[in-house]
Amino acid sequence: MKSTLLKTARELRAVWMLLIVSLILFIATPLFLTGPNLLNVLLATSVTALLAAGQTFVIIIGEIDLSVGAVLGISGAVTAITLQTQPLLVGLAVGLGVGALAGLINGLLVTFLRMPSFIATLGSTSVLAGLTLFITQGNPISVANEGFLAIGQSRPLDVPMPVWIVLAVVIIFGLLLARTRFGRYVYATGDNAEASRLSGIKVYRVKILAFVISGVLASIAGFILTARLGTAQPTAGTGLELAAIAAVIIGGTSLAGGRGALIGTFIGAILLGVIDNGLNLLNVSPFLQGVVKGFVILFAVFLDRNSDLIRGLWKMLSSLRPKRPSSQEPELASRH
Amino acid sequence: MNITLNDIHKSFGDTAVLTGVTLEVKGGEVLALVGENGAGKSTLTRVISGAYRPDSGQILIDDVPVSLKRPQDAMARGIRVIYQEFLQNIFPHLSVSENMFTLDEHASFGRLFVSKKRMAKKATELMARIGLHADPHALAETLSIGELQMLEIAKSMAHDTKLLILDEPTAALDEQESERLFAQVEAMRASGIAIIYISHRLEEVFALSDRIIVLRNGTVALEGATSTLTEREVVTAMVGKELGDFYPKESHGTEKVVLALAGLASGTHFQDVTLTVKAGEVLGIGGVMGCGKGSLLRSLFGLLPVTAGTVSVNGDIVSLGSPQTAMNAGIAYITPDRQAEGLLLQQSVAHNISLASLDEMSPTGVIKLRQERTKTRSIMDALNVKAASPEVAVGTLSGGNQQKVLFGRWVMTSPRILLMEEPTRGVDIGAKTEIYRIINEQAARGVAIILVSSDLPELVAMSDRVAVMRQGRVVAELTGDDKTQNRVLEYALESAA
Repeated sequence: MKSTLLKTARELRAVWMLLIVSLILFIATPLFLTGPNLLNVLLATSVTALLAAGQTFVIIIGEIDLSVGAVLGISGAVTAITLQTQPLLVGLAVGLGVGALAGLINGLLVTFLRMPSFIATLGSTSVLAGLTLFITQGNPISVANEGFLAIGQSRPLDVPMPVWIVLAVVIIFGLLLARTRFGRYVYATGDNAEASRLSGIKVYRVKILAFVISGVLASIAGFILTARLGTAQPTAGTGLELAAIAAVIIGGTSLAGGRGALIGTFIGAILLGVIDNGLNLLNVSPFLQGVVKGFVILFAVFLDRNSDLIRGLWKMLSSLRPKRPSSQEPELASRH
Repeated sequence: MNITLNDIHKSFGDTAVLTGVTLEVKGGEVLALVGENGAGKSTLTRVISGAYRPDSGQILIDDVPVSLKRPQDAMARGIRVIYQEFLQNIFPHLSVSENMFTLDEHASFGRLFVSKKRMAKKATELMARIGLHADPHALAETLSIGELQMLEIAKSMAHDTKLLILDEPTAALDEQESERLFAQVEAMRASGIAIIYISHRLEEVFALSDRIIVLRNGTVALEGATSTLTEREVVTAMVGKELGDFYPKESHGTEKVVLALAGLASGTHFQDVTLTVKAGEVLGIGGVMGCGKGSLLRSLFGLLPVTAGTVSVNGDIVSLGSPQTAMNAGIAYITPDRQAEGLLLQQSVAHNISLASLDEMSPTGVIKLRQERTKTRSIMDALNVKAASPEVAVGTLSGGNQQKVLFGRWVMTSPRILLMEEPTRGVDIGAKTEIYRIINEQAARGVAIILVSSDLPELVAMSDRVAVMRQGRVVAELTGDDKTQNRVLEYALESAA
């Protein structure tokens, strides 16, 4: 029992940070803890959360996917163009297909062509972003398909559709990671790829699938962003990969691979959203918001890398306290 | 220069590696140091070279006690070691002449800029002295392993070496390169350098050395002038007395052949291997490092391509292209390096054990957690894995328990054939006995077992039959009274009459 608590402590570290930040905001402004504002936070977080969910798989296998923002951009654009002539389902299928294909190519580059994922996905980011500009000719593409717009704008049970989608993804992919053979192989591959191979795991297939999942979830994020705006922006998604990676790391997934959980990533994404929201509510200059978020990311990584140091400091501090009365006692005794 | 070691003791934690070693080596003499793995040769070398400090005992140079606190101290006195892993000292992307000199020495080749020309000239000079003719401007990575080793020797010549320790110098050399090395050793002896020559190749030892010291369990088991000793005496001293009850060997061999290899070859790793293993039988494979025994297991697990010959399991010829196909044929492989290629150190004990058996526990892809828990529990109980709970990370367990977890992973797959390489390496005595019990249990279930081990007593005691490999070929199959450590060593070292 105790060991399972300790094990999840790492993944749930983000929960404590989220609670602390929320408490500060709750005290600072009455606007924060209201139903509509919280739903707003979740809605604003949805795109990052989806990108981060896919990124979690890639980081657990010990790789990184910098292309998620660009995949979001191209699948949004391709879907918007397809929807001009085709029905909804065709548009969605094409968009998902583009995301899956991009992930497949990333996966092949990293496995069979032995490229470091940082470089491979940096390259594919440039290719995909360029292709997006080319096929849109740099113009926003508007979408009129009502069914598609509902993905971003409808509110079943008064909760925005993107929030439902994120919840579904977190549950489905969280179970995929935690409860299935594939999920087990993801952790195994990230922990020790050679040992996994020698245990009969098709390591390349696991890695490629992780990149495909990342691509597919990025294209769903592309649907949400496009549907919310009503247009596909040619530069949509630029830079979002960094927010996604930050959410994964804040959520306790190890950059070295082999450890992590989707729930942590989800909470990490919400934490970033809450910080954004709080800074807006407190009227902090938007120019400073990046600074604050940067510090949060650094703090999360600091906690991750220095847990022994922190534990040591804590021990030292707590051992100082009881000493004081005991060191005074002999003094008092000698006075008498 | 004469160097004398007086009653040297050295322990690591609870493990005593050197328990009172006394020896002496004089200038102009080749002293051969032989012993089995773990006898203390490497530790002794590191004590002389200042890499380790002895717990007690004295080191005297020319009868004056010295204290060698760091490798630099030993180097300053002219003591040089060329380790078996000398490649770690080579900078592959620097030139031959840059590799020859230390950074301080680089500075001596010019005031502001290093004169590559002068450095190359000096390097060529030093190399010529030992008969190495390499381009001083070539990158070190373009040299052969033999040339690099000569480069290391040339490097030591640059520093007025008085005692040179060569640790398994011919392990990576071909015959021609070895011959050149021997000539060099002769020349250095003639010039008055003291040489300690460490090798498990007895023919070299007898050809080169003036004196032989056999180390066993951290002490000198035999010492004498080479001319007065026979190979048999040396081998017997290396092996020592047999441990009787330590190995709880049971025999479960049947007549049913499970694994049959016919003329099996894999490139240059091994050739023409024909062997059979019966149900319940333990076939040991002995031989020195690089004889092909490890490669044989790797090819049986689909990790090295088979270039000739066939493998049959239960009479059917199987093709083994990958670990998956090997596993489908009922083959399991316990790797020699449990940390690098065995365990997932961050994952739990339970997840490590079930890793190779997840297919049957998740017919739909979703793992049946209750089934997994029950099965891993019963494996942990059966193999006596000591862990606070099945959920703790494997990396937190002791070496012996980690090894039992690795056994557990493959026992759970109910293999027909169990290949194991160095199954008790780095494991304490108690866990060793438990691992031997696991081997017995698997044999009792009719599993055909191949045991590759460089621990000779273990190999001989735990095997029903021992095949000896040398230079990629099976040179002997020993059974009954012939199955002794001496016989294995004789065949492995090519000294059998």
